[in-house]
Amino acid sequence: MSQGRIRLRFGWLEGLMLLAGAVFVSPCLLALLNAVKTNPEIIRDPLALPERWTLDNFKFIFTGMKLARPMLNSLLMCAGVILCLVTIAPMAAYSIMRRKMATGRLLRVFFLIGLTVPFQIIMVPLLKLFRMMDIQFTYVALLLHYVSWGLPLCVFIYSAFMATIPRELEEAAAIDGCGQVSTFWRIVFPLLTPCTITVIIFWGLWIWNDFMQAFIVMGPTRGQLVFVQLWKFLNDQYVRNWNHIFAGVVVLSLPVTVLYVIMQRRFVKGLTAGAVK
Amino acid sequence: MGNASTFGRRGWPASLILCGPAVVLYGTFVVLPAVLGFAYSLTDWTGWTADPNFVGLDNFRELAGDERFAAAIRFTLSETWMIVAFFTFGSLVLAVLLDRLRSVKGIVRGLFFYPYVLSILVAALLFKYLCNYNHGAINLLLRSVGLGEWAQDWMMDPRWVGYFIFAMVGWSAAGFFTTLYLANLQTIPTELYEAASLDGAGPLSVFTRIQLPMLVPTVTTNLVLATIFGINLFGQIVVTTEGGPGYRTATVGYYIYWLGVKNNRQGYASAVSFTVFIALVAVAIVQVALLRRRQVQL
Repeated sequence: MSQGRIRLRFGWLEGLMLLAGAVFVSPCLLALLNAVKTNPEIIRDPLALPERWTLDNFKFIFTGMKLARPMLNSLLMCAGVILCLVTIAPMAAYSIMRRKMATGRLLRVFFLIGLTVPFQIIMVPLLKLFRMMDIQFTYVALLLHYVSWGLPLCVFIYSAFMATIPRELEEAAAIDGCGQVSTFWRIVFPLLTPCTITVIIFWGLWIWNDFMQAFIVMGPTRGQLVFVQLWKFLNDQYVRNWNHIFAGVVVLSLPVTVLYVIMQRRFVKGLTAGAVK
Repeated sequence: MGNASTFGRRGWPASLILCGPAVVLYGTFVVLPAVLGFAYSLTDWTGWTADPNFVGLDNFRELAGDERFAAAIRFTLSETWMIVAFFTFGSLVLAVLLDRLRSVKGIVRGLFFYPYVLSILVAALLFKYLCNYNHGAINLLLRSVGLGEWAQDWMMDPRWVGYFIFAMVGWSAAGFFTTLYLANLQTIPTELYEAASLDGAGPLSVFTRIQLPMLVPTVTTNLVLATIFGINLFGQIVVTTEGGPGYRTATVGYYIYWLGVKNNRQGYASAVSFTVFIALVAVAIVQVALLRRRQVQL
């Protein structure tokens, strides 16, 4: 491409929008810049470059806030919930889509209702339910909640995708004497891979970032997910140490940001998948 | 279709294996609590006593005269109004501008979408910093250019806190709504643009005559999603103002949380949430119906 064509394709609108985008994410850049400064420096001038680059704030994340263990907890929770969702949801969607019309439609509506229920509606009775089952404030309770909470959307996404898959393969498998469950796992499930990737991105990100539901379901327990731990630590402080806040924000957003930069298209597609009906 | 079902009549054991886990989990931990919520709304359950007493519709009667509930509704609606306006029109303009870019489109879209992949707690902490009275970047900036008297306590001043919440929410999710518009813009056939440019149409009439009518389905989607988003505002309040100053920023969702989790009035909290849920469903139905009719006219 010649110099002239590049100039032609980059006009004032491009420059303006690029600037607007940079201003839009400037709070994040500010956090990044100030995460390597000391608190007095931040208070004096947040825009100045650090006089002395320091990694103490990041060290404090692990020594003072003790975020290492919660990070592991969050990762394990992500893995567990995703594993449950990508097995249970496509099976249900398969069974719904390949059923006789009436029962299939009934089940679809049953799951669709779940998309409209906000968490605040079920939160109080849910806690009571967990207490009755004697699993209140445990990881099991949180896992059960996350999986059940995620199911309606996953079933919805999988069913929509499954409508585009031809039945001939399954019918051939059935003629060859393959049972329905094994037909699903051997023939249908591999075809659902794009959908499975969407589900992994959506729920992985959602659970890593979740604060509210983990905070309520896990209550006062000591072992926490990572954002709950950050929140609890900051809430117990009387003084605002902006340097620690920024370092925490940067560290906890880093994995998400790296993945986002690498696969932006998949992220955007995955995160908007539930909205387009 | 001749045979609509791959599963025969004898297929039910397989269906049970395939569908069973999902139905049981979702039924137990989502549907059952929702139904129980309705049952509890007819009781005076505190959340700790063994036996809730049946009180009939007393909770709903109390609700009708509850000043704090009314205030919560007012605040929620005022936030929802701003959120809906911004996410349906602001995002629309942003998407149209992004669509006109001849280069760097991916990067700019990526920048605007980025806050959406961050946790609401991250957005809350960043905005708490920006809007802090003593150390916040906004006030520092104002003071450094000699506009120190404009500096406000953005988060604690009742006049500004509503805009503070709105700014934070708008920043977080603008990219999401813009992306939905962008996807729709890409489905507009290029012939329409070519015909318009042959007729000598400027960017403004291309927008009003071609893009806007073609975007109506997404306007519907975004309107409904943004309304639901606004009415459900809750986590963002917990991590920033906790309903304060006073009860100024208690949304309906926060009020339910405050009643049920912090104040142990779970029977009454259930009544509030049930009422809100009905309202929410009604809003969604009315909006979709209205806009469907509009769509046909256009």
